[in-house]
Amino acid sequence: MLVPDTLQGALLLSLIDFFLSFVVIAGIGFVLAAFPWLDRIAKLGVNDPIQD
Amino acid sequence: MHDQFILFLEALLQQTGLQELWWGNLVMIAVGCTMIYLAIAKHFEPYLLIGIGFACIVANVPGSDLIREGGLFHYAYQGVNLLILPPLIFLGVGAMTDFGPMIANPRLVILGAGAHLGIFVALIGAKLWGFSIQEAGAIGIIGGADGPMAIFVTVTLAPHLLPQISVAAYSYMALMPLIQPPVMRLLTTKEERLIRMEQPRQVGKLEKIAFPIVIAVIVNLFFPPVAPLITMLALGNLLKEVGVVERLSRTAANGIMNVVTITLTVAIGSTMSADTFLTVKTLQIVFLGLVAFVFGTASGVLTAKIMNIFLTKKINPLIGSAGIASVPIAARVSAVVAKQEDKRNYLIYQAMGPNLAGVFGTAISGGIMLALLLAR
Repeated sequence: MLVPDTLQGALLLSLIDFFLSFVVIAGIGFVLAAFPWLDRIAKLGVNDPIQD
Repeated sequence: MHDQFILFLEALLQQTGLQELWWGNLVMIAVGCTMIYLAIAKHFEPYLLIGIGFACIVANVPGSDLIREGGLFHYAYQGVNLLILPPLIFLGVGAMTDFGPMIANPRLVILGAGAHLGIFVALIGAKLWGFSIQEAGAIGIIGGADGPMAIFVTVTLAPHLLPQISVAAYSYMALMPLIQPPVMRLLTTKEERLIRMEQPRQVGKLEKIAFPIVIAVIVNLFFPPVAPLITMLALGNLLKEVGVVERLSRTAANGIMNVVTITLTVAIGSTMSADTFLTVKTLQIVFLGLVAFVFGTASGVLTAKIMNIFLTKKINPLIGSAGIASVPIAARVSAVVAKQEDKRNYLIYQAMGPNLAGVFGTAISGGIMLALLLAR
């Protein structure tokens, strides 16, 4: 097993997991921060005049 | 003739479970009855406790064929054991959830990570108490306040602890309105509790459609161990948000959800036999579960307070505890505590943001834990 079955293993696992979860969730937050652009794209699509 | 009569009676008696009945069964039957009472009289998570309580009673009646191999409850448990039921629960959850509050306020998603310190406090506590690291990981995930995720991780890491961990997880989720407020008040000032937050922006339809697709890709790419759960959550949500498959969305949110809930609760309750449940380990797990919830609540509130050091538009730290997951109970608790301070401070929508992010926070923490503990 990669993580040793010891207290040090538990501490290391906890530290890495807690820190990485912040990193990943922050990454998701950055992706969500770009979402309002989707609204603009959607509005552009609605405003395009229909060509006959 | 008299001897034959006694012989017949003895043979009948041996067929029944009466001979195997011991005081532990009676204690667990009382536990099952208490669960049913709490569900009916106090409205504590009735959709969960009725099924769990009833199956717990049946599981502790010796001689019941339902829990033995070939029995109905045994097959229900296979749905848990083979990790089929938890993803289906998430399908229903996704079909019932509006992720708008989370999409509208991306800066609050960090609270979905901050409120999970409890997972690791419980993990370390379990290791100190002599549990193996895999058992400790399964116990720690109680702090994620997410029933299906707790089941998912426990079945993978420590299936023999499923009864204790699932009961602890669901029980503490139901008890959140009692556990969280004292911790929230202890760690905040009156001034902080009175902070009003502005209403988040409206989220467009395209954003709500894109969200589950983006999340499914991210989770499958980076967290394959927990991908089944989050992918089904995303599918359920997509069915809801596209607006063109209302029948499917309604089925996922109602029909499937109800069938799976009945099966899942019966499966969990059926594992609560006295032999496995009435042990010192159970008490330790129940205690560590409480520690996980308390520390998770505290760390969520403190994360919000730390964020306020850097923000000009302050966050009400009461919503930090909602990052613990358990949608929408934790968000409601935040809103209720805020309203107790100021009747016109409506925080439910703002609290839903970190509350929903907490689901992903638990998935990420669980995914990293599974990846590291299963790696060789």
